Amino acid sequence: MATSAGSSVSELCARLYDACLKNFPSDHLFYQQDLLGLGIVPKNDLALLLQCTQSLVNQKLFRLLQGKNDRLAWKIISREDAEKLQNLSPDESLVYNVIHSTGRSGIWVRAIGTRTNLHKSILDRCLKSLEGKNYIKSVHNVKFPSRKMYMLAGLAPSEDVTGGAWFTDGVLDENFINSVAGFIEWKVSQKSWYEVPAVQQHHQRNNKRLKTADGNGIAHDHHHDPLDQQQPQKEYIPFPAGYQGYPTIPELTAAVNASGITPVRLGEESITQLLEMLCYDNKLVALNNGEVYRSVKTPDQVKSQQARKPPGEDSGIDDRLVRNGMTEAPCGHCPVFKLCAPGGAVSPESCEYFDPWLEKALGF
Amino acid sequence: MIQHHLIYHYTSYDEGVTYYEPNPQAAYYLVRSGKILEFIQERLGSYAATVMSTIMFLGHAQISHLETLPELRPGQSRVNGINGDSPGEESNGTANEHEVGDPGGQSALLHPTLKALASHGYLIRVRDAQFQSYADNALDAERAIKSRPDVKQMKGKRLEETVLDGTLSMLREKLDGDLTRGLMHNGLPRGAKRRPGNGSGNASNQDARVDYDMEDEDEEENEWSDDDMGGDTTPMESGIVVRVNYEKLDVALRNRRFLDLAEMHSSPATVQVYECLLRRIEYQTKQCRDSVEIPREGEEGEQYSVAVALSAVTEEVDPQLDLAGSIGPMEIPQPVNKRGKRPLDDVGVNGNSHQESDAPSRTYEIDQHLSLLSQPPYNLTSKRVVSGIITWTVEFRHLARKLRHLELERIIEARYGDVALRVIRVLHAKGKLDEKRLQEISLLPFKDLRQVLASMQSGGFVDLQEVPRDAQRQPSRTIYLWFYDPDRIRNSILEDTYKAMSRCMQRLRFERTRLKEFLEKTERSDVKGNEERYLSPAELTLLGQWRSKEALLLGEITRLDEMVAVMRDY
Repeated sequence: MATSAGSSVSELCARLYDACLKNFPSDHLFYQQDLLGLGIVPKNDLALLLQCTQSLVNQKLFRLLQGKNDRLAWKIISREDAEKLQNLSPDESLVYNVIHSTGRSGIWVRAIGTRTNLHKSILDRCLKSLEGKNYIKSVHNVKFPSRKMYMLAGLAPSEDVTGGAWFTDGVLDENFINSVAGFIEWKVSQKSWYEVPAVQQHHQRNNKRLKTADGNGIAHDHHHDPLDQQQPQKEYIPFPAGYQGYPTIPELTAAVNASGITPVRLGEESITQLLEMLCYDNKLVALNNGEVYRSVKTPDQVKSQQARKPPGEDSGIDDRLVRNGMTEAPCGHCPVFKLCAPGGAVSPESCEYFDPWLEKALGF
Repeated sequence: MIQHHLIYHYTSYDEGVTYYEPNPQAAYYLVRSGKILEFIQERLGSYAATVMSTIMFLGHAQISHLETLPELRPGQSRVNGINGDSPGEESNGTANEHEVGDPGGQSALLHPTLKALASHGYLIRVRDAQFQSYADNALDAERAIKSRPDVKQMKGKRLEETVLDGTLSMLREKLDGDLTRGLMHNGLPRGAKRRPGNGSGNASNQDARVDYDMEDEDEEENEWSDDDMGGDTTPMESGIVVRVNYEKLDVALRNRRFLDLAEMHSSPATVQVYECLLRRIEYQTKQCRDSVEIPREGEEGEQYSVAVALSAVTEEVDPQLDLAGSIGPMEIPQPVNKRGKRPLDDVGVNGNSHQESDAPSRTYEIDQHLSLLSQPPYNLTSKRVVSGIITWTVEFRHLARKLRHLELERIIEARYGDVALRVIRVLHAKGKLDEKRLQEISLLPFKDLRQVLASMQSGGFVDLQEVPRDAQRQPSRTIYLWFYDPDRIRNSILEDTYKAMSRCMQRLRFERTRLKEFLEKTERSDVKGNEERYLSPAELTLLGQWRSKEALLLGEITRLDEMVAVMRDY
C-alpha cells in the first residue's frame, strides 16, 4: 500500500511538474489553486497535493515560497538546476537559496549569516564549495566597497551594484568617461552650429552627409581634416531659436555605441547621466527640458581644445571662464590674505606677491 | 565733504544740534568714476564726459556755475575757439557750428550736453533731502504725516498703514531729482537720436571708434541743430543744481555687463540688436532693483523689465546694420532648411523668402536675433505678446543673479580647478547632496571628489551639514550633506574684494613712496610737460615704468570694482 501510494505520488509529481512546465512561464508563482486547476491531482485531494509538492520540494524541483497573505506558493526549478541542488549538502543548499533569493542585487556575507543562522566557519566552507562549483560568484558593490557580496554565477549584477556603465570593477573609470564625454561634445557641437559655406561648399556638404550617415567615419575624418583645412578658418554661426536639428539622447546613444570607443553597449540612462555632467561642466546646454542638447563651443574650438589637452595642464587656462578682478589680483591667490593688514607681519607694503605680479604683467 | 555728498548731516529742530553721518556708498562711488566717464564718453562723446567729470569733481554744481568754469569754456577747447560768445547764446552758437562744423565750438554744447545727460537720467537735481541720511528722512516724513490732523484720528493698524504709505510717497517726492521729464522725445532722451545715424561702429569695434570720433561730433551737432528747429532751444534753467545719478549709471553699466555676457556666445550683430533693446529699456529703468539689499537666493521674485515693442527695437537698430540681416551671410543665423535638414514650417519659408527678396521683414530678423538671445543658458531676453503686439523684456533679477554666480564660479575655477566647478554647479542645481549622490551625478572618482570638497570646505565655499539618524548622534549613523550657499559666499567674497581693492591702493601708495624723490622731480612745475627736455633717458624709462605700474594697479582696482558692482549693486 505504502509503496503503491509512494509510486503513485512520484508519478503524480512528475506529471504535475511537466504540466507546470508546459502551461506556465518559468518564473510563475504557483498557488494551490493553480496546481489544482491543472486537474492532475484527483478529486482535488489537498493532502495528496501537499504530499506531491513536498516531494517535489525535496527533489529540488519546486521551491517553496511564501506568497501574498502568508499563503504557500511554489516556483518551479529547471531540471538542470535541480540536479545541481540535489548534489548540495543541506547547509549549502540553504546558503544557495538565500543567495538565490536576492537575485541580481547580491547579498552581503554577514546578511547570509544572519539569515541562515549558520556558524561562520560552516558558512565560509559552504561559500567556498559553492564558489568552487561555480554556482555563485563574489561581486563588488560600489556603494559598499568593503563588503564581500555574493550572487548566483549566472546573473549579471544590477546597476545598483555596479554603479552603472561608468564603473569598472566598482571604480569610476575616469579615462573611459573622459573619452566618451569628449566624443559626445564633439558630436553635439557638430550638429549645433551652422558651418558657413565657403568656396568649397559642395565638397563640405557631401562630406557632412557622409558623416551623419555613419557615425564611425566622424572621428577619423576630422582628425585628418583640420590639418589641410586650417588655413581658411571655418566660420560657424548659431542656428535660430526653435531649431529642431539638435541631437537627441537616442541619437547620441546610437552614435556612441556605433563609434566603437566603448567596449560595452551603453544605455540611454548612462548617456543621459553623462550629458548632464557635461551640462554641469558648461560644455553643453540642455534645451527643451533636456530632450536635445546644444554645444557651447564650435567644432573647431572643441577640436583644438581636445588636441591641447594631453601636453600640459597649464595650457588649459584659455578655455576657462573669463577671468575677473579677483582671480587676477595677487590677493585673489594669496594664501595669507586673511592675515594681511597694514602694519602687520603681512602687509601690503611687505607683500612679496605684488612685485612679481607687476613684473609679469608689465614685462620688465 | 557735504559738497561731495560724503557725509549726511541733520539738524534737529528741537535741539538745534547738528549730527553728521558718513555716506559710505557715495564714497565708494568715487572709485567708479573712471568707468562712468569712459561710458559717458562712449555714449555721448568726449565733451559730455568732460562735463560729467567736472560735475563729479565738484560733487554737485549749479548750472550757472558750470557756465563760468574755464574748462568748459571755448577758450579751453583744444583746437580753436571760434565761438567766443557766452554759452548763453544758444542759437547763435549752434548756427556757427553748423557752418563751421568744428569741434571747437563746444562751448555752446554745454546746455545741450547737460540736457542730454539729464534726459538720459545720468544727472539729477539736488534736493535738500538728499543731504540727510535715509533714516533721518524717513523719520521726518513719518513725523510730518503723523502730525496731520486726519491721521491723528486714526488708530491701530490703519494708522500704521497710512503712515507707512505716506512716508514712502513723501520720501519719493522729496528725494526725487528726476530731470528726464519733459526732456524725453517720444520716449527717447535727447541726444540719443544720433544713435541710428552713427553707423554700425559701436563699442564692439574699438579701432573704428577713433576714426569716426570726428564725424561723430559733426553728427551730434547736426542732430542738435535739428532739435533746435523743433523749438527746444531753451537752455537749462541756470538755477538748477545738478549731481551725478549713480543709481542710473549702475543700470547703464549693468547693461554693459549683459552685453559682455551676450558677446561671449553670440555674433556681433546679435549683440548689437541686444544693445538696442537694452538701451530702450535703460531709458525707462531708474535703478537696478527696488530693495536696498540684494534679496536672498531663492527669495527673489522674478521681475521683468519694461517691455519694449519689437517695432521700437527695430527702429532703434541701425538701418545700416543690415549685415545682420540679409547682406552678410556670415552674421545671420541661417534659415534651417538651408542645411537641407528639416524645413521648419513657415519659419524656414519666411527666412528663405526674404533671403531672396531682401527687403521686407527686417522686423522678423531682429525678432530672430532676440529669440536667439532668449535661449538657455542665459535667457538674456524673454518674449511677451501683449494684445497681439510682440514685445521683448529682460529679466534683470535673474540675469543679475546669473552674473553673480558667474563671478563666483570664476573664482572657484581659478582656485580649485574645473573639477571643483563641476561639483559646485551640481550642488547649486541640486541643493544638498550626500557624497554618493554627488559622485553619481558628477561622475568623479571618490578620491578626487573628497579632495576637492575638502579644499573647498577649508576655503569656505562648500559646507557640510550633519543629519543624525538617531538621538545618539553617532558619526556612523549620521548623514552628511554637502551644500553650497551662494549668498554667504557672495558676502564673504565681497568683503575680500573690498580688502583686495584697498590692498591695491595701499600698495600703490607704497610704490609711490619708494620712488618718492624721483616722482617729486617729475612733478616739479618746470619738468612737468617737458619731461623729454629735463630727464635723462634712464629717468624717462623709469617714469614710463612707473606710469604703467600705476595704470596697472588702478586698472586692477577698477576690475575689482566691477566685481563689487556685480555682487552688490546689480
